[in-house]
Amino acid sequence: MTGALFAQSLVLGVLLGGLYALLAAGLTLYFGVMRVVMIAHSAFLILAAYLAWYFHETSGLDPLLSLVITVPLFFVVGYGMQRFLVSRLRPISLTTMSVLLTFAIALTIEGLLGFVWTGTQRRVQLGYSGTSIEVAGVSIAVVKLIAFALAAISLGALFVILRKTSFGRALRATTQHPEAARLVGIDTDRVAGLGFGLGLATAAIGGTALALDYTIYPSLHWHWIGPLMAIIVVGGLGSIPGAAIAALLLGVAASLLQVPLGTTWAQTVFYLALFVTLMIRPQGFFGGRLAQRF
Amino acid sequence: MRATRRLTVAAIAATTALTLSACLANPNEGGNQGEGTDGPDDPIVIGVSLPLTGDFAEPGKGVQRGYEAWAKHVNENGGLLGRQVELIIVDDQSNADRVASDYERLINQDGVDLVFGPFSTRLVVPAAQVAQDYGFLFVEPAGAAAEVFEQGFGNLFYAAPAIADDHYNHLTEYILALPEDELPESIAVASMDDPFAQGTAYGLRDALADEGIEVVVDEVYPPNTTDFSGIAAKIADSDADLLIVGSQYQDGVNLIVALQQQGYQPQMAAVSGAPTNAEFPAAIGDKTEGIIAPTGYTPSAPYPSNQEFVDFYTAEHDAPPAEDEANAWTTGQVVAAAVEAVGCADPSPECQEQLVDWLHENEVETVVGPLSWDADGRPQSAHLIQQYVDGEIKIVLPDDVKEADIIHPKPEW
Repeated sequence: MTGALFAQSLVLGVLLGGLYALLAAGLTLYFGVMRVVMIAHSAFLILAAYLAWYFHETSGLDPLLSLVITVPLFFVVGYGMQRFLVSRLRPISLTTMSVLLTFAIALTIEGLLGFVWTGTQRRVQLGYSGTSIEVAGVSIAVVKLIAFALAAISLGALFVILRKTSFGRALRATTQHPEAARLVGIDTDRVAGLGFGLGLATAAIGGTALALDYTIYPSLHWHWIGPLMAIIVVGGLGSIPGAAIAALLLGVAASLLQVPLGTTWAQTVFYLALFVTLMIRPQGFFGGRLAQRF
Repeated sequence: MRATRRLTVAAIAATTALTLSACLANPNEGGNQGEGTDGPDDPIVIGVSLPLTGDFAEPGKGVQRGYEAWAKHVNENGGLLGRQVELIIVDDQSNADRVASDYERLINQDGVDLVFGPFSTRLVVPAAQVAQDYGFLFVEPAGAAAEVFEQGFGNLFYAAPAIADDHYNHLTEYILALPEDELPESIAVASMDDPFAQGTAYGLRDALADEGIEVVVDEVYPPNTTDFSGIAAKIADSDADLLIVGSQYQDGVNLIVALQQQGYQPQMAAVSGAPTNAEFPAAIGDKTEGIIAPTGYTPSAPYPSNQEFVDFYTAEHDAPPAEDEANAWTTGQVVAAAVEAVGCADPSPECQEQLVDWLHENEVETVVGPLSWDADGRPQSAHLIQQYVDGEIKIVLPDDVKEADIIHPKPEW
């Protein structure tokens, strides 16, 4: 491996890891507040990507502007989904039944995408799609940089919301001990709904970032959900910083391993990390206090 | 005890139902049998089984449109041997077991005079086996994988220009004829892990590697790959002169964009799959110039019968034909040529054998160019080579049918 190729792969890994971090953050949030395994997270991601593409096709404006519509929309849909579907599941079997429920939602979204926009593979074509900035011999694609920036800003905002606002404190309290949270006067049902909405809003942002740099098609979400699930387990279920760190590490590892091993084997790094985590530290490497209880 | 009794009842009921349905079905389906099908006024009946539902429904319907357009065209122009042509098309649901029994039934019960092949390798092999058992000529529109031609079928002919390995033959000749100082010195290859994509890409790679051109990157990626920046980084790092990509669609597009993002500029980019897709220029934008792709069929190919086909088909369907339709039409042309030359179209082994022998010895003019075959049914031509010239995909090789001159070296993208 030459030095230039190493540097390039490292940068690509960080950029990819940033996107993974944002997507995994939403996924781990659902589990944190609700103990819900949200298989449909990546389907919403692709839905947001389609909306960004459709927005660009019909209006001719930059797909990033579609965020103004999709982020509030997804927040409301997430809130509704938690209050009217997920909360109806019996608490005792919530985690397993949520897999079935969200699996069905994923299939429905995939089917509707194919029905409305056919299976034809779509791509947002922008003036800056192929442009890149060169820094010390490393090419950084503009679209990847935008996606990374979106991820960083959203994660930062998420962190501030959870740490600094009273809603954030209520959300964390609900995550840590729902009963105690209710005792101190937190409306945990409402907080869980808002938390779900927050998670889905991150899917809107991630999906738009995805639309900038990838060709999209209805069944694409199956390729994303596997690595994302692995990331949140490695990071510790329910831990947003854990998910972000695991996403960055695994993104970089996959990118670097791709050079000597090839694409097929590099993809397995996510699952290898999953197996190792489950064997050595099933509660995850970075968060973990929560997962220990389940 | 009770469960056993219930099972017995169910078994008896099922057997009765099966027997009944067999009794009911037979008289209807055997309707054509025994009727004289050789009379000069009777139509020539051609049996086909196609995947109209299931995995291959999309291409299957394309083949159906091609067959039906061909039959209509023949009938409007006086028929075959002065007789009208009638197609019996049944649905095999993309199922390899079903396709074999379909052809059994078409030959035995429906008493068809000729058969045409189904779509795709997986269905062509079992269907060809049945046709072989009954001594029928078997011309097929799809099924280019090597295994089709390794079964020892003497009656099979693939109605397309070339098998996957030979798609790039015209380009190989062009490259090897370049002056010494323009010859590419290194090749970077990336292909999807798929027999068809790899067959095409490796045909060119191996032909050039045999002549001493160095392969510096040789990547294979699984079909579910979505992020191509890592492969692009390797290729960009190698700075190879010639890029070969074996793709389907989204992978080819994503890889090309990733390569552009990393500033890689090859002298020549040969990409099979993606570029001939109608969506490609919209996806890549104005950076398509000089990208090369092999194609089995294009409506603009200047072969004599092609214009007639495109006009007739477009008038029928309000859209120009694609490769599946063209290969179906080609199948019809190939069989028709043999029938006209030999002067018979009936299921007798003598007639079918004469048709097979004639095709082994002769060349047929078709919408995809003149076709001839080796003993195993491999077509002996190569695909047309197209290139994006002035923003449009045009035929650049071979010289006698080109629409534009090949651009080399490729402009920067």
